[in-house]
Amino acid sequence: MDRRQFVRSAATAGLLLPAGLVLADSNKAPKRVPPSPAPVAAKARVIVIGGGMAGATVAKYLRLWGDAVEVTLIERNPKYLSNIMSSLVLTGQRSLSGLTFGYDTLQARYGVKLVVGEVVEVDPVRVQVRLANGTWLSADRIVMAPGIGFDAVPGLDDVNRMPHAWQAGAQTTLLARQLAAMPSNGVAVLTVPKVPYRCPPGPYERACLIADWLKVNKPRAKLIVLDANPDFVTEVDNFSKAFYGLHGKVIEYRPNSIISSVDTHQMVVYASTGAVQAHVVNLIPQQRAGALAAGLATANGGRFVPVDVLSYACLDPAASRVHVIGDAAATTQPKAGHIANQEAKVCADALARIFGGGQPDPAPVTNSACYSTITRTQASWLTAVFQYDPVSKTMKPAPASSAASVGWQADNFDQMNTWFKALMADSFA
Amino acid sequence: MKRMISPPRVIAVAIGLAGLLSALPALSQTATSPSGPIGRLLASNCFQCHGTNGRGPGFDTLAGKSASELYKDMKEFQAGKEGDNIMARHVMGYSDAQLQALAQWLSTQR
Repeated sequence: MDRRQFVRSAATAGLLLPAGLVLADSNKAPKRVPPSPAPVAAKARVIVIGGGMAGATVAKYLRLWGDAVEVTLIERNPKYLSNIMSSLVLTGQRSLSGLTFGYDTLQARYGVKLVVGEVVEVDPVRVQVRLANGTWLSADRIVMAPGIGFDAVPGLDDVNRMPHAWQAGAQTTLLARQLAAMPSNGVAVLTVPKVPYRCPPGPYERACLIADWLKVNKPRAKLIVLDANPDFVTEVDNFSKAFYGLHGKVIEYRPNSIISSVDTHQMVVYASTGAVQAHVVNLIPQQRAGALAAGLATANGGRFVPVDVLSYACLDPAASRVHVIGDAAATTQPKAGHIANQEAKVCADALARIFGGGQPDPAPVTNSACYSTITRTQASWLTAVFQYDPVSKTMKPAPASSAASVGWQADNFDQMNTWFKALMADSFA
Repeated sequence: MKRMISPPRVIAVAIGLAGLLSALPALSQTATSPSGPIGRLLASNCFQCHGTNGRGPGFDTLAGKSASELYKDMKEFQAGKEGDNIMARHVMGYSDAQLQALAQWLSTQR
């Protein structure tokens, strides 16, 4: 299908949308909302690359807030698997199918055009992208949300021997199976990469969850956490109490453990703090922007993409019509799905203003919020609001808002489920 | 979060806020910037937990509430009257002007 054919067939699809959709609302009678078919005469066109938390949200909000903006979302997978909550698959409390989110609502309710395909090239000057099938698509702006990629680890010749399971999918299922098959006095290793990486509390909450599960299922097993950082990178109080207190008999914490290589045959991890042999290794390597953004990734030692946080446009003048949101961007904000959703809204709002002849909001606000599982039934919380600082041109956390819970509770675990449901609906529905 | 709101206090705050808002013409219900209503982007920080446009699913539904009610609720969280929880900390990240702007925008959602 060439580009002209694609545009024509997509426009036809827009005209075939149902006349109205019924929205479920817990408090009121179901309401009919007008559909948002893709614009027949687009005033501006945006290509969104990547349908994760950031990409799905920007596609939705460009249609919701943009005046006749045509949005084409290009994603290699037909459905999204949520990384958030995926550590609960390891303990059998969640299933991957329950963490699967489709793009149907983005298409039907908001008129987003979905292309399931692989982008192999982005031309930031001509504002064009090339798909694996050779098709070129062009737009007024490109929003890239390519997520993360992983550094190669010397000796890691078979990733399935030491899965990261840091992108939900087959590796998550595999790691769950490997943990289940571990001897009851076995040794598991979990490695924490150097900052910045996706989901700062994530490796620690996964360690807590696995430790809690091991106590019941593998009572004499150990979990060795090899942290490349000098200390817990976030929620220091909660994770210190959990690692040294609550899970102290299961978890052995080794900070400043830089991984130099692994041996997948002997199942050995070579770290700066010594070699460890284990039955199961959850190797979470150091991270960088997804491969498609590699050419733009000049920050953090060539790992992530520097952007203007008023619009998420690339700072590179040659790529000023390319915006990068979510974990691939180099900002002062954490790399995580909740705040990626808000970065997407800032980007969508900025583009709507720019297409209308205006300027981005000069004082954007974003927020991060999440819950960490400390046991299989209890959680802590962590939050921060970020305000734009015009002097440093960065997002700065508002000090009073930057906080974590004191300890963990079952109530927080329930709230975590509500939060997850709300966040995914705001991003995908 | 189950919360009781005593009507007389709501009215008192509503009057106070109405006075305040009338002093800020930019925050009237129909106020728009060159492309987008004032307060909308700010208010979208609520959507991750309270649903798109505050309509759920999630924690308390925000759509259908008045600006004064929303503002009062947020100030109570900010003052710690609901305890030290994630919402209390979250609301501490905004200035009063920002809370008023986002409450005003949310009040236009039914």
